[in-house]
Amino acid sequence: MKRASLSLLLLLIALPAQEVPPGVEVDAHTLEVLRLINTKNPNHVPALGLQEESAYARTADDVTPFGAVKPYKQHFLLQMEYTGPGRAIPEPQNVDSVKIGFIGPIAPTVSVATGGASHEEALGKKMLQGAQLSIEHANQRGGYLRRKVPFELVVANDNGLWGSTGNEVINMVYTQPTWAILGTIDSANSHIAIRVALKAEIVMVNTGDTDPTFIETNIPWVARNIGDDRQMGYLLVDYLIRKRNLRRIGIIRASNRYGRFGVREIKDSARRLGQPVVIEMAYRLGGDDYSLQVDRLKEAGVDAVIHWGNAREAAIILNQLRAAGMNQPYFCSDRCISSEFTHLAGHNAEGVMAGSPWNPLREDPKLAAFQKAFRSRFGEEAETYAAHAYDGMNLLIWSIQVAGLNRAKIRDILATRATPWPGVTGDIPLTSVLDDGGDVFLGEFKRGAWIYHAREDLDIPRGITSAEAKR
Amino acid sequence: MKCRVFLLVIVLTGLAFAEPGTPYVYKNWRQFTVEDGLPNDHIFAVKSQGNHIWVGTENGLARIDKRSGKVESWTEAEGLPWRVVTGIDVNPRTGEVWLALFGGGLARFSAGRFDHWHQMNSGIVNDVAYGVAVQDEFVWVATTAGASRYNTVTKEWQIFTEKNAPMEEIWNYGVHYRDGKVHLAVWGSGVLEYDVATQRWKDYLDPDGEMEIDLYRDDGIIHVITTAANYIDKTLWVSTYFGACRYDGRNWRGYYNMDSGLASDFINNLRGRSEKEAWFATDKGASAIVDAATNTWVTYTRDANSATGRAVVTRDKTVIETVEMGLNLPHNYILAVDIDGNDVFVATSHGLAWGIGDGYYPGLRPESTVSQDVRRNQP
Repeated sequence: MKRASLSLLLLLIALPAQEVPPGVEVDAHTLEVLRLINTKNPNHVPALGLQEESAYARTADDVTPFGAVKPYKQHFLLQMEYTGPGRAIPEPQNVDSVKIGFIGPIAPTVSVATGGASHEEALGKKMLQGAQLSIEHANQRGGYLRRKVPFELVVANDNGLWGSTGNEVINMVYTQPTWAILGTIDSANSHIAIRVALKAEIVMVNTGDTDPTFIETNIPWVARNIGDDRQMGYLLVDYLIRKRNLRRIGIIRASNRYGRFGVREIKDSARRLGQPVVIEMAYRLGGDDYSLQVDRLKEAGVDAVIHWGNAREAAIILNQLRAAGMNQPYFCSDRCISSEFTHLAGHNAEGVMAGSPWNPLREDPKLAAFQKAFRSRFGEEAETYAAHAYDGMNLLIWSIQVAGLNRAKIRDILATRATPWPGVTGDIPLTSVLDDGGDVFLGEFKRGAWIYHAREDLDIPRGITSAEAKR
Repeated sequence: MKCRVFLLVIVLTGLAFAEPGTPYVYKNWRQFTVEDGLPNDHIFAVKSQGNHIWVGTENGLARIDKRSGKVESWTEAEGLPWRVVTGIDVNPRTGEVWLALFGGGLARFSAGRFDHWHQMNSGIVNDVAYGVAVQDEFVWVATTAGASRYNTVTKEWQIFTEKNAPMEEIWNYGVHYRDGKVHLAVWGSGVLEYDVATQRWKDYLDPDGEMEIDLYRDDGIIHVITTAANYIDKTLWVSTYFGACRYDGRNWRGYYNMDSGLASDFINNLRGRSEKEAWFATDKGASAIVDAATNTWVTYTRDANSATGRAVVTRDKTVIETVEMGLNLPHNYILAVDIDGNDVFVATSHGLAWGIGDGYYPGLRPESTVSQDVRRNQP
């Protein structure tokens, strides 16, 4: 009993804050967080100050679900916290490298979505390159500075078959083990991964899954640094309906989770604004003939067509629409902003617009340096998935440098960051659900190249939230 | 006549304002950690059966002898097929212990031997198993890519996914069997009920269909991100990461931290005890609704800085009583609960708690009928 009392007494003595190695940028707020989480008492839950928002995802009142009724409970407004004992786990003594997991679609396999060939390797390989470059840059700066050991990427293919993503994350947590994980792209696989991350208590940063529901799971271990389909959908709806007043919108989408969840906010918002989508056609991936869907869209007399799917299908469908004499404006998800799309679509690509989670043409020395380094390292251009993976991995590495080798503290540092992460993709403010709250853009293919419009550039009106109305 | 009516009014008024009674509060707790022989303090699963408490941890399986308090344990070195045990059920007829292995599939512990089923040697749909339940000769496993059912007699496997069950998503989290019904808690797909007799499925989804709100509290499951479902006394208890709910076959009732004694809306697991009582494993303590009719709860938490704990009795959101006590829970982050007879077993992320229910009574009792000894149930 005496020993227990003495132990408890010792635990009550405030521990000094860990020192952050020189060269790691850290502000006073993060230093205070570091002091608060520096505990040896497994029962101590630090009061980290939870982020609170007045409207989830800045959803405007007029597109809020059941907007006329005040819901009994609104979720996702108050940040989740971690209340477990993980902060008290001491940093390991012997470490040769600091392993960070990467999971993404990088090798061909059989796709659950298509029932045939897999289809996301092009994106996954870019994501891996971005993550690799970040690791290499960190190691050039001295690696994990507290121990002077290198960061090491533990790479796994996101096969997707029979839930194998879960097995891979298990391996990263218990066999390798890694300190944090970056991945993946496929929405279903991402959900599987974060369920494991929650139980195993490891941070998972997502840089390539734009499914809005990914973050709507109340998991305090998950963050995302890419604008999602909710935000890109809102921008498209604001442009199509609030700005251009296009009344008859038709949707054609992939018959998979990406397509299904990608257009959900567009459909719901259009309906709530009084201009419901007149037709929604789903197609199986991997096909070449979309005449059935094209005929239906034509019969529906649509004013505009929105496509949600991969670049290949986006281009083929566009060509078949134009061949059928349909010259309506064509809008896409961000995946069509690719050389594959413009190559396949040819001159039909002119005038196509797409949601984009970032502006790759932004003038920013950080971005220019990244693009140059990427080109030099891989002999290719960095695109959306590479750039966001680079940012996501940099954010993780920063969190590890500040927190030390403790999974819970890595989570705390990442989750409580007070200022936006200055990424090459732009500033990344994390919301109360640790989602990317930064701006999204409209890409437009004009005179043979993609250009990017901010909302303000095109004077796109925005609906307002109740809190904004009060102000 | 007038006098009788007056008396009746007085009595009815008195009844209306009378305290509905007082619940049983567990004050006698034992704790088990690695210092007592557990292979690991991070406990995902607990199952009490007879004289034994089976404990599934992040690094091994343990068995506590209730009579002696002796702890035996098995890690991979002792033959446990995989280190992380996330679910436990015991076949009441054979005594076989079935283990859901987090990344290792399914294992059976019987007669001192482990048998192992995984994706490479069996029909289990995925090795990331979250829960296990014995239904007669069948063993159900909730995995991250669907549910699997193993027939221990014919050795056949059956897989349930979106192809043959109403699963909007296939990410199974919890499985429970009782009274002819199997219930699956499916992340993103609410609760699925399998009727053993008719072999038919029924799904329970959030009627508002939105992730970011619960439009009406009592219109159905409060959220589709479910973590556990227990069926007992023809009542379905459901936990989610957003709150809890109860369905009596006719009416739903939702429970949130803001309108009940629930310690937190983040609930990892649950154990139903009766149609009126269920225990919820939250990230901020163990919360038990002890009388559903009056929304009376008892929430157990420990003090972070001393070896003491407390129980807070609430009705709706009003605190009725706070009972200070010695150490109850080793930690407030609760991952699972089991109930056996009068006792409760609470798996936390830093040890196991055993609440000894001497003098336990269900529901509420008028204060006057509860002796001080029982009320305080001092050890």
